[in-house]
Amino acid sequence: MTAVPANLILSRDDRPIVIAALFIIVILIGGTAYTWMHFGSAPLLSPNYLLQQLQIGSFLGIVAAGMMIVILISQIDLSVPWTLAAAAMLATAIGGPWAIPIGLAVGLIVGIVNGIGVAYLRVPSMIFTLGINAVMRGLMVAHTGGFAPQTAATDLMRYLAAERTFGIPNALFVWLAVSIVVVVILQRTALGRYIYAIGNKEAAAYLAGVNTRRVTVICFALCGLTAGLAGVLLAGYSVKAYQGMGDAYLLPSIAAVVIGGTNILGGRGRYLGTLVGVILIVLLNSVLSIMEMPEAGRQVIYGAVIILMLLVYGRGERVTS
Amino acid sequence: MVAPTGEDFLVLAGISKRYGGVRALENVDFACARGKIHAVLGENGAGKSTLIKIAAGVVQPDAGHMRLDGNAVSFASPSAANAAGVVCIFQELSLLPDLSVADNISIAAPPRRFGLIDAKAQRRRAEALLTEIGCEDVNPLLRVRDLPLSRRQMVEIAKALGQRPRLLILDEATSALTSADVERVYTMLARLKAEGVAILYISHRMHEVEALADRASVFRNGRHIETFEKGARSTAEIVQLMIGRDIATQYPSKPRRPRPQPALRIENLSWEKRLDQISIDVGAGEIVGLGGLDGQGQKTLLFALFGVLRGVTGTVSVNGRPVRPGSPAGAKAPGVGIALVPEDRKTEGLMLPMSIADNLAIASLDALSNGPFVNRVKERRAVEGGISRLQIKVGDKNDAVSTLSGGNQQKVVIAKWLMTQPRIVLLNDPTRGIDVGTKQELYRLMRELADQGAAILFYSTDYDELIGCCDRVAIMYDGRIVRELEGAELTETNIVASSLNIDAASSAAAPARVAAHV
Repeated sequence: MTAVPANLILSRDDRPIVIAALFIIVILIGGTAYTWMHFGSAPLLSPNYLLQQLQIGSFLGIVAAGMMIVILISQIDLSVPWTLAAAAMLATAIGGPWAIPIGLAVGLIVGIVNGIGVAYLRVPSMIFTLGINAVMRGLMVAHTGGFAPQTAATDLMRYLAAERTFGIPNALFVWLAVSIVVVVILQRTALGRYIYAIGNKEAAAYLAGVNTRRVTVICFALCGLTAGLAGVLLAGYSVKAYQGMGDAYLLPSIAAVVIGGTNILGGRGRYLGTLVGVILIVLLNSVLSIMEMPEAGRQVIYGAVIILMLLVYGRGERVTS
Repeated sequence: MVAPTGEDFLVLAGISKRYGGVRALENVDFACARGKIHAVLGENGAGKSTLIKIAAGVVQPDAGHMRLDGNAVSFASPSAANAAGVVCIFQELSLLPDLSVADNISIAAPPRRFGLIDAKAQRRRAEALLTEIGCEDVNPLLRVRDLPLSRRQMVEIAKALGQRPRLLILDEATSALTSADVERVYTMLARLKAEGVAILYISHRMHEVEALADRASVFRNGRHIETFEKGARSTAEIVQLMIGRDIATQYPSKPRRPRPQPALRIENLSWEKRLDQISIDVGAGEIVGLGGLDGQGQKTLLFALFGVLRGVTGTVSVNGRPVRPGSPAGAKAPGVGIALVPEDRKTEGLMLPMSIADNLAIASLDALSNGPFVNRVKERRAVEGGISRLQIKVGDKNDAVSTLSGGNQQKVVIAKWLMTQPRIVLLNDPTRGIDVGTKQELYRLMRELADQGAAILFYSTDYDELIGCCDRVAIMYDGRIVRELEGAELTETNIVASSLNIDAASSAAAPARVAAHV
C-alpha cells in the first residue's frame, strides 16, 4: 500500500491491537493509582489477581474466539447466550463421563442449525440466530420448569474450569488450546482463506469456486461449539448451571472482537486482537468493580469505551486509505 | 505542451501526485478548452485517472495549481467541483441499484415541494434528461437494477447532464455501451460541444477517439507526453506514444486447420426466458467468440455453463462426458475443468482488500493443500508462476490487489483461473477498460492457451476483438444464437447485421451516421 518502511507504519490490522494493548496498560496504571490512593495497595499488579482475572476472562475468550470466526464472514451469532446455557444445563443434567461431550454436542448442533438457516435458507443471521436464541431459551425453561436446575457439574468440569495446575488456572490452558486451533485454522488452512475471502466479497469467493455455503455452516458450527465449551466450563466454575448464565457473554464477546480490530463487516482482523480485546474488557470490568462503581455507571463507561475505541480506529482507517 | 490561451477553460500547472511511493502524476501541465472534445490517452496507470480525479475534486494534488475559467481553484471535494460546473461520468457506475432511474438522476438535489421530494417533478426532470440523450424509451420509474448495463450507463450520463456541466469528463463512459447507445452519446457530445462545454474524453477505443476528439493528449508513466490537434498523428503514432514501443500486429495469427474435435458441446441449453435452445461446440484449441448486442444472453450463457444458475435445461458435455455443475465449485472440479473470468473484476473477480497472493491462490487451494493445511511452499511457487506467466507488474505479492492498475488486476483474475489448469475457459468481456498493451498481451495469451489445448468461449462487446481473436463467432440475439460466422464471413458488417438480427444491407448505415455527427 505504501512504500514507507513497514517498521515505521503499522499495518492496518495491527494498529487497533497496539491501541488496545496501550489501553490495557492505561487501565492497569489508572486502577493501580486508584487502589494505591484509597487502600494503599496495588492488587491489580499481583500475579495471583491477574491470573484470577484471566481465569474469568477465559470463558469470555472462548466465546469470542467463535464469535470472531462468524464475524469474519460478515455474519453474527446472537444465539450465544442460550446456546451456552443449554450446553451447561444439559451437560450437568446428563452428568458422568458424557457430560462434556453432550455439552459440546449441544453447541455444535445449534451452530449447525444456525449455519443451515443462514447459508441454505438465506435468512439474515441477525434474525435467524436471534430466533434460535429464543427457541433455546424456551426449550431450557421447559426443561427446567423455570427453576434453577438442581444438578451439579461433574468433577472433570470443575477440574477444567476451577482448579489450577502449577498455580495456573486450567481454564487458561483450555483457552490457549482453543486459541491455537483458531489461529491455525485462520492462518494455515484453506478454510481460513475462504473465511477471509467470503468476508471480503462473498460473490467473488463463490465465483472462484469456494463452497461458500459449506464454509458458512462450518463457521457457525465452530461458534456454537465454542459457546457450548464455554457453557460447560462456566457450569464447572460455578459448580452448577443456571438460568441466564450466558446473558453476560453476548455483547462483551462481540465487543472484544471489534475492539481487537476485526472489521464488524467481515473479512479483516487478527486473532491476537481478539485476545487483547478480551483482556481489555475483563480488566476494565474488574477495575470498575474495584472502584465500587455502581452498575449503572459501569454500563455507561463500558459502552463509552467501546464507542471511543471504534472512533479511534475509524480515524486511523481514513488516514491510511 | 499547450500554452494557456484565452479560450482555455481548465488549466493545470505543475501538478504532481504521489500515492505512497507510487508516482501517479509528475509535474503535469495540461489545459483543455471550451467547445472542444479533448481526448486523454494512455495505458492504465499512465495517470489519466489521477488527472481527472484531481480535476473533479476526488483527490487533491501534492503540488501545482489549477485554474478554472481564469480563476485559481482548488476543490476540496467532488461536490465543490460540481458546484463549479465540473461533472464526471466515471467508468465504475455510481448508481444506486435499488432506487428508480428518476431517483438516481436527481439524487444530489431532488426537486422539493413543502420540504419533501416532489416525485412528479423528479420524474418529469428524468424524462426530459433521458430524452435529451435519446433514451426516451427508459422508464424513469424502473429500478436501476432491472436495466441492462448499457442502459444503466446511459442513466449515469443523464444524471451528469442534469448538473449542467461546464466541463464534462467522461472516463471510459462508453466501454459498457451498445453500439446504438454509443451513437446517442456521440450526438449528445456534439451538441454539448456546440454549446461551448469543455469535454475531456478518456477511452481505450481508438476508433472512438479518432471519430470524436478535436485534440488529444498522451500520458505515459504519470507524465504529459504530447498534445496534438486532430489528424496531426496517425493511430500507429499515437499507440507508439502511449506505450513507447512498437506494436507489429495487433492480433496473433490464427492457425489454419480443420475444425477440431469439440471439447465443450452445448445442446439445447435453455434457462427461463433468457436462454433459448442454445447449441454450439467449442473445439479443443479453438477460440469461439460470443457476439451481439449487450444483454442478449451472452453473460447468462456463461453463467449457466459455470453452474451459477438454477433450472437450466439441455445438455452440456466436456470431452464427450455430460456434466451438470451445480455451482462454480462443481464447474472447476478436476473432472470438469471449467473456468470463468467474470465481467466485473471489482465485485465478482477479486477480493480487493486481500493480497495479490491470496487472490491468485484462492481458486486452486484444493490442489495446493495437504489435507486441510495450505502447503506454503507449493502456494508460493504457484503464485509466482501465475505472476510471471501473465507478467503481472507487482511490487510485493503481499500488497492488497486494489493497489494494482486495472489491467494488472484483470491479469490477476485470469492468472487465478489458469492456475487451476482449466480445459474450458469462459471469458466475459475480459478487456473492458484495459489499456492497449495489456489487451494485446491477453490476446496472445488466449491464443497460447488455445494452442495448448484449451477450449475458449469469449464474450466481447468489441467487434474488432472478436474478428481479430476468434476462430468462429456466434452472434446472440434475444437469448438465441442467430448466426455463426467463420473465416471470410467474419466481418464487422456481418456481425453488426446479425447482432440486430436483420440483413446486412440496412445495417451498413450505422457507422456512417456516427461519422456524420462529428
